[in-house]
Amino acid sequence: MSMTTKVPLERKVLSENDRLAAELRAEFARHGVRCLNLISSPGSGKTALLERTLGAFDPSMRVAVLTGDIQTDADARRLARYGFPVRQITTAGACHLDARMVARALEGWDLARLDLLFIENVGNLVCPTSYDLGEAAKVVLLSVAEGEEKPLKYPGIFFKSKLMVLTKIDLLPYVPFRLDDAIANARTIQPDIEIMQVSSTTGEGLDKWMEWVGRGL
Amino acid sequence: MHELGIANSILEAVEAEMRPHPGARALRIAVTVGALSGVDRDSLEFCFGALTKGTPFETLALDLKEAAADELQLTCLELEEPTP
Repeated sequence: MSMTTKVPLERKVLSENDRLAAELRAEFARHGVRCLNLISSPGSGKTALLERTLGAFDPSMRVAVLTGDIQTDADARRLARYGFPVRQITTAGACHLDARMVARALEGWDLARLDLLFIENVGNLVCPTSYDLGEAAKVVLLSVAEGEEKPLKYPGIFFKSKLMVLTKIDLLPYVPFRLDDAIANARTIQPDIEIMQVSSTTGEGLDKWMEWVGRGL
Repeated sequence: MHELGIANSILEAVEAEMRPHPGARALRIAVTVGALSGVDRDSLEFCFGALTKGTPFETLALDLKEAAADELQLTCLELEEPTP
């Protein structure tokens, strides 16, 4: 004889990742580290923006970068030239970073000696959305070489991000991108999302980005 | 593509929830999937089927329900338990 039992659950599917992320968030808070999780499609300019950002910092700035890719340490090598600590996370196939990968990559780093940590996620507008890394904010990048409908096509990440950075704006004269539509689409998904426009090539808008990055430090 | 990882997380959670129920067989797991969760339901069903095939969870049905915003939660586990 057997009987059927219904066990009511109230548990997030990714509760184990969320638990690790909460630990990371507590560690970041304890040491006063502001952690920003940069997410975009491949080729939207995450690494280029980080290069400009690191290049603008005084060498005394206590900043570090974790950069995620499916293969190669090309990004870490690009970013290491600025003299700040950089580590590559190679996911070997995984399409996103999770809290465990971040915790492992941080091993050996003294968080007490950091004020700012950038996490450059794997180039992907979908999967990284689901995984909390303990960051203070998710930042989504959208380049003007892409489509202005992307906030509607990939609503999850625009819903969860505090800031949308429109990148490569120096290309606006050459591409059919409708800036106003892109902004309206992002606000349709999330009315409160902050929005800025930058060009890592010309430097336009970087002052506002640097001000935003440094908030609360 | 991360639906395989999500499916695996669901199975890990089911295993954990079944520990207090020795001898039970899992019949159905209900999961709410919000439209903004970044999870594709078809893909999740496919991955779940692939992961459970040929395992003790082969008979476990994945019951996906729509939900608000970015919700991604386990809401109910149905078990068949031997009567004492």
